[in-house]
Amino acid sequence: MSLSRSPSPVPGGGWASPGLNMASGRSSPTRGFTGSNGTPVMWESSRLKRNGAAGPGYPSFSTQKTQRGFFSRHMRRLSTTLPRFGANTNYADKEKLGRGRWSIHNVPLLGRIRAIMARMGRKMKIRLLILFFLLLSIIIFYNSPLIYYWRRTPWLGGGQKFVIILGANVGGGVMEWKGAREWAIERDSVRNKKKYVKNWGYDLEIVDMSTKKRYAHEWRESWEKVDFVRTALRKYPRAEWIWWLDLNTFIMEPTYSLQDHIFNTLDKHVYRDINDYNPLNISHPLTDAYLDPESLSPVGDGDARSVNLLLSQDCAGFNLGSFFVRRSDWTDRLLDLWWDPVAYEQKHMEWAHKEQDALEQLYTSQAWIRKHTGFLPQRMINSFPTGACADNGNDTRIHYAQADRDFVVNMAGCEWGRDCWGEMYNFRELSYYLNRMYWEIFKEDFVAVLWFKLTGQKVKL
Amino acid sequence: MHFAYPPRKASNPRPYLPRTSRLPGLRRSRLKVIALAGLAFLALVYLVARPSGGRHGAAGRRPPSGSPPAVVVTVLDEKLYSTGYLDAVRENRVQYAEKHGMLPGCAGAVGGYKAFFANVGDYDLDGAPGSWTSVVAMRHALTTFPDCRYVWFLDQNAFIMNPKLKIEDHVMKASKLDGLMKKEFPVVPPDSIIKTFSHLKGKDVDVVFTQDKDGLSTGSFVLRNGEWAKFFLETWFGPIYRAYNFQKAETHALEHIVQWHPTVLAKLAIVDQDVINAYSKKTNGVEYKDGDIAVRLAECAAVGPEACEAEAQSFVQQWRKAFRNS
Repeated sequence: MSLSRSPSPVPGGGWASPGLNMASGRSSPTRGFTGSNGTPVMWESSRLKRNGAAGPGYPSFSTQKTQRGFFSRHMRRLSTTLPRFGANTNYADKEKLGRGRWSIHNVPLLGRIRAIMARMGRKMKIRLLILFFLLLSIIIFYNSPLIYYWRRTPWLGGGQKFVIILGANVGGGVMEWKGAREWAIERDSVRNKKKYVKNWGYDLEIVDMSTKKRYAHEWRESWEKVDFVRTALRKYPRAEWIWWLDLNTFIMEPTYSLQDHIFNTLDKHVYRDINDYNPLNISHPLTDAYLDPESLSPVGDGDARSVNLLLSQDCAGFNLGSFFVRRSDWTDRLLDLWWDPVAYEQKHMEWAHKEQDALEQLYTSQAWIRKHTGFLPQRMINSFPTGACADNGNDTRIHYAQADRDFVVNMAGCEWGRDCWGEMYNFRELSYYLNRMYWEIFKEDFVAVLWFKLTGQKVKL
Repeated sequence: MHFAYPPRKASNPRPYLPRTSRLPGLRRSRLKVIALAGLAFLALVYLVARPSGGRHGAAGRRPPSGSPPAVVVTVLDEKLYSTGYLDAVRENRVQYAEKHGMLPGCAGAVGGYKAFFANVGDYDLDGAPGSWTSVVAMRHALTTFPDCRYVWFLDQNAFIMNPKLKIEDHVMKASKLDGLMKKEFPVVPPDSIIKTFSHLKGKDVDVVFTQDKDGLSTGSFVLRNGEWAKFFLETWFGPIYRAYNFQKAETHALEHIVQWHPTVLAKLAIVDQDVINAYSKKTNGVEYKDGDIAVRLAECAAVGPEACEAEAQSFVQQWRKAFRNS
């Protein structure tokens, strides 16, 4: 018998091979295997025959001489053009069905996907694959140490340019007892900074501020800030900015990176003319005739890149609870000049705040200090709780505001008559509350509330 | 469409390639490669020139252009000293500056040295001794000549004796200075534990001092203009030091700064006295000999102005002769 066309697969019907469907007397297995569903599996053609239909729809080489109507003759062709809702019509299934094995293709969803995949073009498949890999790599990137290294690398995220120094163990050693609350403050503060640093790829240097006989010159006791900054500059050669943080500080918004929050737009935030906010009433700029125009200008050279010391002012003047210094020759000079025995000898009775007063003195008298000092609005790096600077009530310049999501809170002066641990705890919880993600919101605002309404018991999830 | 036979190729192939509508180089496959390369290039550009990349860089500061190359600063005490004497001192500095103002082939004083004079009492010292004027006058000279390269402070009881020597060659040239400067040398004699740095290079030196028998001498020193110079002078002039009543005022303040602050010491070189600061008598230091750039009448000021004027006579004649001959 000659064929007018080559055998080709018919979708859903298997090979339209003439040899298989010839009326050979036995067009179906005598006995089907008992499948998992208990019904015998039959060949398609035999089923058609059994159902009284007029046999296979291959009229050109059908040997069956039966009378067939239009519908029975074109049944297959019509049905294949209809949309299919099950994958079981796939021809490949016929072999696998009824073998007594669990078959993945019984799962309708997967089967459907398979079917979609089967009908999809090669190009589309490649595109989907690329998309899939892109998604996968993004997920892997954000859920692996890769993101950490990306953020750290100086030419990518630039995290190595920032080092946080945390002055811990204040007054430890011989000066005072450290109780449970002090330990708790320290633990929370350190954990907070560690988490922040880990998130953004910065470096954290925790320094021991305990009172010790550290210098041959005993005058210099508790002036260690300067030396720690200098040590950190040496220890982290890639660091560009050193951020000093007192122990009683809490980073309220760990999702703010220093780059985004401050340094990428430094020129917008920094103010160099102290007259903008001048609680100390320092006359600015200097007016001495022997100084050059840059020193006489209220804003130095006006370029934010020349700012080497960034600090904020509270109600009483400079505050060194949270400040930045940049690695530069200027900074070396400042750190070198900050403590001077002659100045100390003359002023140590007046200078209750040591470094802070010394810096104010330097700023007031030295043009070269003013040129490279910039101030940030206090609430950008150093918000106060309502207890600090409380004489004039709440000041939007100074005090923390939840609505504005201030970056850092500094519980300045809490050791004098206020409850350090209480404040720290409250801010910790507030920070957590403000930065909850979907899962935390779900379990706390939904599940726990539901549980409470049902059982009357409060639960912490 | 199917044909029984594929269309025939021409038996005589054409001698040229058929022209396509597109540019020959831009095949589809090649376009893809070009697009990918472009993307990669853009990504690279983004990484390199990202805003955070260069933003934290320090602002570049223009180095001084060197006009004038050097300034000679002198503080005059018009109340104590006679006008004639001070005029001789002024004339000495101005003539020295003019000698180096004459560029070959040029008539004017283009690119020449400048002399800068200040008077005791010009500046408000907050009650500190008048000798502090020298420090602030130096600072003023840096402001007046922001493009000068070197500033040479020379005490009023001193004369420039050798007009041929230039500050930038005689003292401040890096190679020259490497040989001149004393390393590992106690900054305050005889046995200060603070010594000049051993690894300091001539090109890094920003200020050159000398020592006489008492210690650092502030009667003659050379400073290189720059940020460091301003820092140094302003620090030295700090009100804290002025208020401290150092026994020798600014000289002891300097010794204090140098010993306590390594950022100052790291830029400081000590050279032999006869390089810039030879004395007229050898009781307190190295004695002047012919050919030295300058001579200082170091001890007369303690006696009185008349002593200085008397001692100066012979030197005034000498420098006038030397200037005339050069």
